[in-house]
Amino acid sequence: MERLTATGAPLLSARDLAVGHGARALIRGIGFDLHAGRVLCLLGPNGAGKTTLFRTLLGLIPPVAGKVLLGGADLDGLSRSQIAARLAHVPQALASPFAYTARDIVLMGASVGLGAFARPGRAEEARAMAALDRLGIADLADEDVTRLSGGQRQMVLIARALAQEAQVLVMDEPTASLDFANVKAVEAAILGLAAAGQAVVVSTHDPGQAAMLGDEALLVSRAGVIASGPVSDVMQEAALSRLYGLPVRRIEGPDGRPHFY
Amino acid sequence: MRLSLLALALVFALILGIGLGPYPLSPGQIFDALTGGLTGGLTGAGDDRQAQVVLWNIRGPRVISAALIGAGLAAAGAAYQVVFRNPLVSPDILGVSAGAGFGAVLGILLGLPVMAIQLMGFGFGLATVALVIGLTLALRGGAQLLVMVLCGIVIGALAGAGISLVKLLADPDEQLPAITFWLMGSLAGVKRVDLLAAAPAVILGLVPLIALRWRIGLLAMGDDEARAMGIEAGRLRFVVIAAATLITAAAVALAGVIGWIGLMVPHMARLVAGPRFDRMLPAALLAGASFMVLVDTAARMIAPMEVPLGILTAVLGAPVFVVLLARGARAWNG
Amino acid sequence: MSFPTRRAMLAAVFAALAAPVLAFDGQSVTDATGREVLVPLNPAKVFAAGPPASVLLYALKPEAMVGWVMAPKPVDLPYLLPETRGLPALGRLTGKGDTLNLEVLLTTGAELIVDFGTVNATYRDLATRVQDQAGLPYVLIDGSFAATPQAIREMAAILGVEARGEQLATYAEAAYAEADALLAQVPDADRPRVYLARGPEGLESPARGSINAEIIERMGGINVVEAETRGLVTVSPEQIQAWAPDIILTVDRDFAANVRRMPEWQGIPAVDQGRVYLAPGEPFGFIDAPPSVNRLIGLKYLAHVFYPDLVGGDLEQGDLRQEIADFYTLFYQVTPDAAALDALLGE
Repeated sequence: MERLTATGAPLLSARDLAVGHGARALIRGIGFDLHAGRVLCLLGPNGAGKTTLFRTLLGLIPPVAGKVLLGGADLDGLSRSQIAARLAHVPQALASPFAYTARDIVLMGASVGLGAFARPGRAEEARAMAALDRLGIADLADEDVTRLSGGQRQMVLIARALAQEAQVLVMDEPTASLDFANVKAVEAAILGLAAAGQAVVVSTHDPGQAAMLGDEALLVSRAGVIASGPVSDVMQEAALSRLYGLPVRRIEGPDGRPHFY
Repeated sequence: MRLSLLALALVFALILGIGLGPYPLSPGQIFDALTGGLTGGLTGAGDDRQAQVVLWNIRGPRVISAALIGAGLAAAGAAYQVVFRNPLVSPDILGVSAGAGFGAVLGILLGLPVMAIQLMGFGFGLATVALVIGLTLALRGGAQLLVMVLCGIVIGALAGAGISLVKLLADPDEQLPAITFWLMGSLAGVKRVDLLAAAPAVILGLVPLIALRWRIGLLAMGDDEARAMGIEAGRLRFVVIAAATLITAAAVALAGVIGWIGLMVPHMARLVAGPRFDRMLPAALLAGASFMVLVDTAARMIAPMEVPLGILTAVLGAPVFVVLLARGARAWNG
Repeated sequence: MSFPTRRAMLAAVFAALAAPVLAFDGQSVTDATGREVLVPLNPAKVFAAGPPASVLLYALKPEAMVGWVMAPKPVDLPYLLPETRGLPALGRLTGKGDTLNLEVLLTTGAELIVDFGTVNATYRDLATRVQDQAGLPYVLIDGSFAATPQAIREMAAILGVEARGEQLATYAEAAYAEADALLAQVPDADRPRVYLARGPEGLESPARGSINAEIIERMGGINVVEAETRGLVTVSPEQIQAWAPDIILTVDRDFAANVRRMPEWQGIPAVDQGRVYLAPGEPFGFIDAPPSVNRLIGLKYLAHVFYPDLVGGDLEQGDLRQEIADFYTLFYQVTPDAAALDALLGE
């Protein structure tokens, strides 16, 4: 799949960002620029603060220091609906106590930006169906999401984020706890989105996946940022060994892709 | 569509409610009394006048109150189930019924006039929820929803203890029966003036729930999700809690504590209209109103004595609920 | 007491063997539950287990009271003997959910517990349990209205005030005879249909056969509330419209004052004809509250309410005021003056 080169202004940037709860920083010194069509992979052990970083990027909690720029504007100064128009979130799992259909879920994304008293109409329905269609899961539209497989549910959540028509997607471990086929389907979907011009931030526990998906990578551990930059520079044995605290070997596969063990 | 079937059910329930009662009235008498009362107040004489008194002063306010309370409690329950992301939540979760109950029985103990008893019920219901929210904000726990529900349980238990204390202090011959009946819920004593006083509060609570029903539905996804989709989740939840509290406190002040409706009707509505809040809310409003009118009609028809509504909603509601669940537990996440 | 009887000896032995029963000169009585109970002669301190017993004890032997079940309300005080006004409210034993602590009871020095009311297995058991636990004799006397003269005599014998008991019992017998003579003149068709309104809305009512409305039927009235129970029920205004009572009796002052203005009560014969009566309730109710000997004056009151033409007029006319004054003097040992009578009759 062809990668777009970085052109124009970055869609999402972090400037000397420190994230954490209250005044206590978990990670300091985060900086990156994410352009249209590019994928940033976030790697790190559990508890390193990946989810906290995501919540900061989404504007759910304020940064401890530094700033997040969304389309060049400081996240601090944007309203919830302004953020939602530019940035969509794909959560790790669907947590709904009620048995919505896939269409219901995606329609929620399609309705972002509607007025307070408005309800989704034909236009939003069409947007939702288009998003499902784009991921090839239109046939699941009327299925009860609680009856879907984990991978299908993940695709529905991605469709919801797509329907939001934001330029930046933030995905929290989208392939965690999926089987092999579903992992491949979600990976293909991410690459497809990037190819279509979407900027994507995705966290993962699999260095191989990061190397395959990412244009850029950000390695964070409890000690802070380990490495940051283009995937080819970052995803090296030394940095990964430091990240996970154990020796990591990298070998080139027959297809020229790196593998880690 | 299914919604029009529910609307039809409500019309049927209202006709039944207006048509049936211990005071025997023929359909002709009812029609004359209704049209006569509309045009010129209580004008007739003898039997005609009596029919007008029964319909305009007693049965009419009662049926309308039942519809309003049923719709209100069902809507409040439906909204709470979404906001608290739990299908087992009822409008009482933050202690409003216990608080309103405490206020009202205190009024009975103090021997206050009926209107003052109702006002105390209403005021204490609102104050209880305000206390719960204040306590939640003061504690500022990480899991706000859980903290809020726990505060509700604690304050509700306190109000329950208050009710027990009032019962203990009450005159066992005069006040204790009044307190007991009141806590079981009844529309027997509803007057037109009571309805006129309570209706604005219920309607005021219903308006935001209906107007914001699409947004409220997004809260089911959880706070972070809703906020990521552009919703000010905290503010919206506060609006929903305020609206539902207004409705429930007014309902308890008007009719005493009526359980079940707020828990069960939303499930019935979800089975009919699916889980989307913006679609199931109208179904819940219609089903709640119909169910309550039918139950209240039964309450005055079964026997010369009034059967408390709390007993009937449980006895009639439980089997209906089980049948619905058996037929389609699908829409209720299983 | 210097020559102990064999019975007292037995009592002492029994006390020593079985329970902390005080050793005293006693008499053995069989109470309404069929239990044989050894009670002290002429007891000086007696506890009444519930409101009905409290009234009976007050009427027969006020000086023996150790307390009230519930404190009298301020409006009741002028109609009570001064020495009983300040007695403590000790709580009740009868029924479910006692509010009386037995330890408190023992600190009062009570020698005897008397109860007056319903006789059934529950109360029989309650009497036995309290007697065993507190070590005080517990006597239950049948409280049914018809048996009032008999009950007065029995209680008087236990309390050692037989002469006073005879006086009150004679009054009761005369009151019943008077009622029967009056009712003999009333054809069935002229019996009033009566609704007894309780609660702030007037929608609670004792059903036909209930002890709380017994006096209505005794005085020939027809209690319109025919229900599946013999207890207190809630009814709807519409049901009352359907019953169309001729007379409404109430014990709720607010209700009595407001009923004429309440739209849902319009058109009911009793309301239209102004036959809504607030039954006097100080110090004890005329109709019930509690159902005890206080109801004897209620018979005379109802005679005036139900059949004004036969007894020489309604509440204002006739001899009702004198009757009330006489009853209060005899039973409560307080003679109400004209102003007190006005207050009682709500004028």
